[in-house]
Amino acid sequence: MKMNKVDTEKAYHLLWERITSLELEPGEILDIAALADELGFSQTSIREALRLLIHDHLVEAPPRGLYVAGLKFSDLEKISTVRLNLETLAAQQAARHATKDDLVILQMLCEEIAQDTRELFTLDQRFHQAIAQAAHNNYLADTLQQLYGLSKRLWFLALPYLDFLPSAVKSHVNLVEAIRHQDETLSMEIMQKHIEEFYLKIKDVIQEKELVEKK
Amino acid sequence: MNNKKPPKTLVLGIDTGGTYTDGVLLEYNTHRIIATHKCLTTKRDFSIGIENVIKEIELEDPSAIQMVSISTTLATNAIAEGKGKRVALFLIGYDPDLIDSFDMGKRFATPHYYYIDGGHDLHGQEKTPLDLQELLKITKSVKNKVDAIAVSSYFSPRNPDHEIRAQNAIASVCELPIVLGHQLSTSLGSVERATTASLNASLLAVLQEFIIAVRRAMENRGISAPLMVVRGDGTLMNDEFAAQSPVETIHSGPAASAIGGRFLSGEDQALVLDVGGTTTDLALIKNGKVTVSETGASVSGYQTAVKAANLFSIGLGGDSHITLERGYEIAIGPERVVPLAYLAHLHQNVRERLKALAKRGWPSPNPRELEYWFLQREVPASNAFTAREQQVLEILKSGPKPATEVLKSLGLLDPSQIDLSNLWREEITGKSGLTPTDILHVEGKHTPWDEKASQAALSVFSHYLNWEPDKFRRVFWESVAEKITKAVIHFLTEKDIPAKNEPNQALANWFLKNTLLPGHDQLETQIKLTIPLIGIGAPAEVMLEKTAQVFNTKLILPPHYQVANAAGAVAGSVMVTEEILIYPHLSAGNVDVIGYYLQARDGREEIEELEDALNKARKIAGENALSAALRSGADNPQVDIEMIQDGMDSYRIKARAVGKPRLEG
Repeated sequence: MKMNKVDTEKAYHLLWERITSLELEPGEILDIAALADELGFSQTSIREALRLLIHDHLVEAPPRGLYVAGLKFSDLEKISTVRLNLETLAAQQAARHATKDDLVILQMLCEEIAQDTRELFTLDQRFHQAIAQAAHNNYLADTLQQLYGLSKRLWFLALPYLDFLPSAVKSHVNLVEAIRHQDETLSMEIMQKHIEEFYLKIKDVIQEKELVEKK
Repeated sequence: MNNKKPPKTLVLGIDTGGTYTDGVLLEYNTHRIIATHKCLTTKRDFSIGIENVIKEIELEDPSAIQMVSISTTLATNAIAEGKGKRVALFLIGYDPDLIDSFDMGKRFATPHYYYIDGGHDLHGQEKTPLDLQELLKITKSVKNKVDAIAVSSYFSPRNPDHEIRAQNAIASVCELPIVLGHQLSTSLGSVERATTASLNASLLAVLQEFIIAVRRAMENRGISAPLMVVRGDGTLMNDEFAAQSPVETIHSGPAASAIGGRFLSGEDQALVLDVGGTTTDLALIKNGKVTVSETGASVSGYQTAVKAANLFSIGLGGDSHITLERGYEIAIGPERVVPLAYLAHLHQNVRERLKALAKRGWPSPNPRELEYWFLQREVPASNAFTAREQQVLEILKSGPKPATEVLKSLGLLDPSQIDLSNLWREEITGKSGLTPTDILHVEGKHTPWDEKASQAALSVFSHYLNWEPDKFRRVFWESVAEKITKAVIHFLTEKDIPAKNEPNQALANWFLKNTLLPGHDQLETQIKLTIPLIGIGAPAEVMLEKTAQVFNTKLILPPHYQVANAAGAVAGSVMVTEEILIYPHLSAGNVDVIGYYLQARDGREEIEELEDALNKARKIAGENALSAALRSGADNPQVDIEMIQDGMDSYRIKARAVGKPRLEG
């Protein structure tokens, strides 16, 4: 059952997209009236959407005002630690529980070819979501979904300096094979390496270019 | 439940018709109408007209409003004008040859339909395995060309497994909204189900944007109340439900009118005629309820599986364009134009020109010169216009002009030589001409605007025909009564009315003609309608007077009949129906009954004994209907459950939960 109103739901998706793609920058003030006018929504729906985003850790509500959540270097460490463990768990569970349908979906996602880096990220994300689905554990899938939003901001920060296409795609292909053979250990290994590489690269770029405060 | 009645329970009903958007502020418990407001419908974006009504209706305390309910032609209109979004439709287990041989492909309301292996049989058993790979391959190739996806699998009401698996797979590879056939229809007609799913998908975004705009308008006026939308059968659903099943709002406008007519008149048996600006809509009230069509609603030639009021509509209204057909016959509608009385009221020089035209001796004035074109709103700067459109806009800048004059200055003879459909559709330019509203001005029956202009136009018309203006009016009213009479007979009998000169139908035609215009020395024919007519809409009184005489019945005009449609938007009940199918699980070779399947909307289970299965189905259906009714805004809904035998050893348990809308406060 859906709990949110039509307009809140839509406003939430629009704002989520803007914040995670850094169109709304970390630390930016969120003016409810201005956002309502710009997006053509009622203020109530914007307010409700922002409340949901607070829950997602994408918006901060200090005693006064609302801001896009800041990005700190320590966040990267924290997020990557949790994601590393949960994605690995998802890979193991997928190897155990994946259905034929799941394998068809994973295979199809592997074969998709991205036209640019941005699209590659979307594809990569869909692949990870499909793994989470294949794990058949909705709590795990929901938690990973929330981490995805946080992770996406870091990735967008590093995006202009990144170039890491082929190896990631290759690890996807290997992972699907491991899941197909119900090899839990191998699935976990591939996933772990895949996620580690991802964060290492982002970390390097962010440190090198000094893209966030070092706290 | 809350028995303590607040002193005043205010609700706001809004109806968007083809011409006007009406608002009614009503005290819910006493049915007392407190305020009404009329705005022009803005077809380019319905929410503008609704925002105007919400903004302008007289209202002391907006926070006292406890419900807003809207009936809207939005969905019907979006389909008719192709404004719905692009849809890819997956047909799982459908037979392409069969569809082709009956040329049914064009009934799916989208050119992008694809056949996928799969589907079930009548017993809910898998006929062919689902080809998920093919489905995903096609999804990949179309996902950037469409805005939504619809899935309908063969016998999905018996077993929706393939639709659900398809949904999961599609959602993994793209973010498009997905509509499943079995969620919208439990009837087994596979083509209608596919059409319904396809139309629903194409309307999702349309209705969503609409609801967002209305909610915003409500907030700007300080109204924080539940928002309801009228279904095609006149019942209500809250905005969340409407956003998910927009296809159910097809025909919601005429259904609301019928309910409003019954609500304000208290008549339990009647024929409701809603005379709007563009159309006259007929609906039948039987035992206090609007009759619902046995077959699903059809819209723009698409047959759906959506339950809707049994309606009939003709292109005749107060603002129908009166023109000449074949040079000498009076034709009324179906095109709607702005009455000349209104245009002249806004533009002094139109009246002067019409008066001059009526006095002109040579060349003798032609009724074609009565058609005026004008700028309807400020020309939007953003639009890219064609050179022709630019020229027309330039000419109209200085004020309304007769169409003949505009064409002449472009060096053209006939409107068919120029395509201005864009300007009309965007409501940048408008058309004005002689209308029934003008005739009412001449007769002094309804004179809010410039009756001198109407008089001049009428005299041009009758002079051209060499008639006295009185004769013109008499023939005109006879023609109106004839059209409505034929519509009533057709609606109630479902018999086609023969063409005027059909030789095989001489007797039928004579009977009709003699009934409308008694002309035989010895034979008098009469027709009697055993129920009264209820007239709705501003022109109803005069437009229906003669029809009621023809049918030897009375014409009831309930208080505030001009805006009964909007009252009908709040008068309906909230209703949710939940169906569960029970059908046998057969052994291999379909020999023995092993047990019974119980197929609910969201899952299937097997039960050994029929009696247990039926009992469980009653329980689940009742509970589901009740909770869905509560979610969709019903107050204290009552559930009734019926069992229908549906073929051999198969049953349909239908639970219906109905309640008054729950008001805030």
